[in-house]
Amino acid sequence: MSPLGELPTVPPFRNEPTLELRRAPQREALDQALAAVDPALPIAVPVWIGDDRRWGEDFFSSDPGRPERVVASAAEASAAEVDAAVALAAEAGRRWGLAPAAERAAALIGAAEVLRRRRLEIAALEVRECAKPWPEADADVCEAIDFLEYYAREAIRLESGSELGQAPGERNTMRYAPRGVVAVISPWNFPLAIPAGMTAAALAAGNAVVLKPAEQSPASAFALIEALREAGIPAGVLALLPGDGEVGAALVRHPDVGAIAFTGSSAVGLEIIETAAKPAPGQRGVKRIVAEMGGKNCVIVDSDADLDEAVPEIVRSAFDYAGQKCSAAARVLAHESIVASLAERLAGAVELLRVGQAQELDTDVPPLIEAEARRRVGEQIEEAGSRGRVLACAPVPRGPGWFCAPTLATDLDTSSPLLCEEVFGPLLTIEAVDSIEAACEIVEALPLALTAGLFSRNPATIAAVARRLPVGNLYVNRRITGAMVGRQPFGGNRLSGVGAKAGGPGYLAEFCESRVMTENTTRHGLMVE
Amino acid sequence: MDASGVAAEEDRLEREILEVGRELIERFPSAARHPVRALDERAIAASTRDRELRAALFRLVDVTPACRSLDELAEHLAGFAAEIEDRPPSLEAAMRAADSKPGRLALGAAVAAGVRHMARRFIAGDSPADALEELRRLWQAGIASSLDLLGEATVTSAEADRYAARCDQALATLARAYADFPERPVLEHGPGGKLPRADLSIKVSALTPLLRPEAPRRGIEDATRRLRPLLRRAHELGAHLHVDMESLDTRESTLELLFELLSEPEFREGPSVGVVLQAYLRDSGAELEQLLGFSGKSDRLPPLTVRLVKGAYWDHELVEARQHGWLSPVFEHKQESDRSFEELSRRLCDRARTSPESVRVAIGSHNLRSISHAVAYNRLSGGLDAAIEIQVLRGLGDDLAEAAARAGLRARVYSPVGDLVAGMAYLVRRLLENTANESFLAERAAGAPLEELLAPP
Repeated sequence: MSPLGELPTVPPFRNEPTLELRRAPQREALDQALAAVDPALPIAVPVWIGDDRRWGEDFFSSDPGRPERVVASAAEASAAEVDAAVALAAEAGRRWGLAPAAERAAALIGAAEVLRRRRLEIAALEVRECAKPWPEADADVCEAIDFLEYYAREAIRLESGSELGQAPGERNTMRYAPRGVVAVISPWNFPLAIPAGMTAAALAAGNAVVLKPAEQSPASAFALIEALREAGIPAGVLALLPGDGEVGAALVRHPDVGAIAFTGSSAVGLEIIETAAKPAPGQRGVKRIVAEMGGKNCVIVDSDADLDEAVPEIVRSAFDYAGQKCSAAARVLAHESIVASLAERLAGAVELLRVGQAQELDTDVPPLIEAEARRRVGEQIEEAGSRGRVLACAPVPRGPGWFCAPTLATDLDTSSPLLCEEVFGPLLTIEAVDSIEAACEIVEALPLALTAGLFSRNPATIAAVARRLPVGNLYVNRRITGAMVGRQPFGGNRLSGVGAKAGGPGYLAEFCESRVMTENTTRHGLMVE
Repeated sequence: MDASGVAAEEDRLEREILEVGRELIERFPSAARHPVRALDERAIAASTRDRELRAALFRLVDVTPACRSLDELAEHLAGFAAEIEDRPPSLEAAMRAADSKPGRLALGAAVAAGVRHMARRFIAGDSPADALEELRRLWQAGIASSLDLLGEATVTSAEADRYAARCDQALATLARAYADFPERPVLEHGPGGKLPRADLSIKVSALTPLLRPEAPRRGIEDATRRLRPLLRRAHELGAHLHVDMESLDTRESTLELLFELLSEPEFREGPSVGVVLQAYLRDSGAELEQLLGFSGKSDRLPPLTVRLVKGAYWDHELVEARQHGWLSPVFEHKQESDRSFEELSRRLCDRARTSPESVRVAIGSHNLRSISHAVAYNRLSGGLDAAIEIQVLRGLGDDLAEAAARAGLRARVYSPVGDLVAGMAYLVRRLLENTANESFLAERAAGAPLEELLAPP
């Protein structure tokens, strides 16, 4: 029971509705939001520790569709600031961790309300900073709201502890205590939702958070911290440390960091796991790691699949946000009896994709995040053409912007790295399999196991594939991206990730340690219950 | 008018509705004339009573064209059947049969035959040419048709081009054939002028792969390229082109496309064109305003035909809205849709009566009450029967069309054509799931008390 008896009981969780952009009046608000955000650019992003904000122009984020437009100018956290942030977090975190869950939940729900109020503004910022197309930018803000609301409720649930066996004369209780300081290292591809999810979970569980956002998207992360602070998260328990990989690495090494929540590439994730495993001098615990890493996501298409449905869903899975999602489809494994017709229809659909600016609603494929990404993905697409065969690609607009042609390729050698490593760009490959069995073997052989798709209309096939595939999230007869908080807890297996699924019932416990108390309830043989 | 006056009006209308309903029921063909159909009806009626069974049946028809062998077909049947909790004995037997290879072959053959049999009822032919005999038979019986070309979804430009080419050929085939059909004055004249004989229904989603609900312009421009030549062709041939309405996701594109094209000077004198109004949409009243506003301002000579339907994407609309957390765009209770249907039909009839040069009314329904209401209202308010037409789906509303024709009303059957097996799958997906439930109301009419069938919603 909360000492603040007046805290209202929270209604059940429901996902925040996205904008209904099929209705013209809802679309009209979007241009206005951009017009309001543009004059405010660049946004200054500080190193924000406690009540101190240090401004600086150490690095910049820019509009991937118009690179000369600077979206944010940010201060970069120094080594001393990393130490200061962790020290303050450790200290302020103690009080926060002892507060009733309902109080922490109220602050998170308050932050969700702030995001609702600033919804279009932040979505517009994502359009500029990350070239997130409008529907996706809007969905990202909604997902951030969902995480705040969902983990707030999870904190209240977790506080009631777990059921244990009881015997006469003893009372056994298990409760969950925070781990202390959580370092959150977040990517740019869901610039609000992913940092919001990891931060909200850590805070809800009673930890203090030091957030190091991707250097490509500091302004979006700043908006998140502003919302949380405005809603009453104490200054000491939430720090923002903009910067590059070095800032993240310093956090990972820090002896007073109790847990690390990371979303990003498998290479960086494995490095974090390795570094965190070595205790630093003065370290008093083993660091818990929750890491969401890459994917090489396959879509299996059976001979009985409804291709009318499969083609558009696969295209969207592979090319929405230019394939820059860890859940994006990379590899189609199609039954040999339908592969020709599927490939032809996919090719026709890929040719129609419109590559363009994120702010245009008719854009299917926005630019990649940065020049380096375009160079790397461009090379991989070229390789797909030289080692295999390009079936289709879409035209790319002239002018500045990190545009990259969405491409469908085939005939790659099964040993090609292009078939097992993550590309994180708009490249989809298709290959024939002689049975669904064979497709499952291919998926099973991959080291990455994040998402997969299956198009089949045979209930027996669906059940068999679901039993067999090692992936974290299997989607049947639909697109393989767009997991919803509370409905599709999300996360990979194998080298795709460690820890519980985000937006699901086990996630908050990752940020806790469990403590069991057994009390002798007899006094000289007298039961005192 | 005061309250008692309104009540008296309503009484008069209800009495007239009963009158019209009786007129139609008396003219229904007797079941004895269609023994096979009566049998089908029982099978489908049984399946409509049980949601699970119906879902299994539809899923089976849906997957049939994708099955490469009878064996595979039987496997699917067994799979769907296994998901039904309360299995009728026939399904139990089917599942046992599916355990052995010869059993599966027999079962698969039975399913394939069943689907074909069912398809012949719903699909008028493999191609427009193949359907001509059927169209002629209907025409001679005083029933007009609107042809609908079944096909796979359009996801590429090549597919859109192929669909447009099929439409073009269909228009030519229809125009040529109908020119020789005998005169049927009821089908050829309305208060707004002469009615085309040849009539083709088309889908905008098949004319372009680029319909995006959040970005209508691109799809509109792409579809315009293909629809403009079809309008020209229809005009040349004196045929009617009816643009079907699909899910709400494509409504804005569909209407804008049509309004823009029909405003082009070259289409001022023709062809005759129609649109669809879905009564189950909560904002269908505003949409009707939009349609009447357009036709009122337009200086086109042929009136705009508005086909009023209840709407065939109810499940889809509801599911999509619920998954996104949106307010459902469709009424959630059947009575609300039925009331909306009556309200809209009154407004349409009023406009057609006062301004026959701007609007023609088509009542697309299998609900005896909805149809009787429209006819009765139109008569009481001084409209001619020729001002409205009754439209039904082939396979579901055939008896109703026959009864309407015998009652001197203009009836039109929406007739899908295409590959029997694949076409059946498309039909199941697009239409039957949502209409099967109540379509039998009219056909079972002979058995049920008339007052019940004709009660206000």
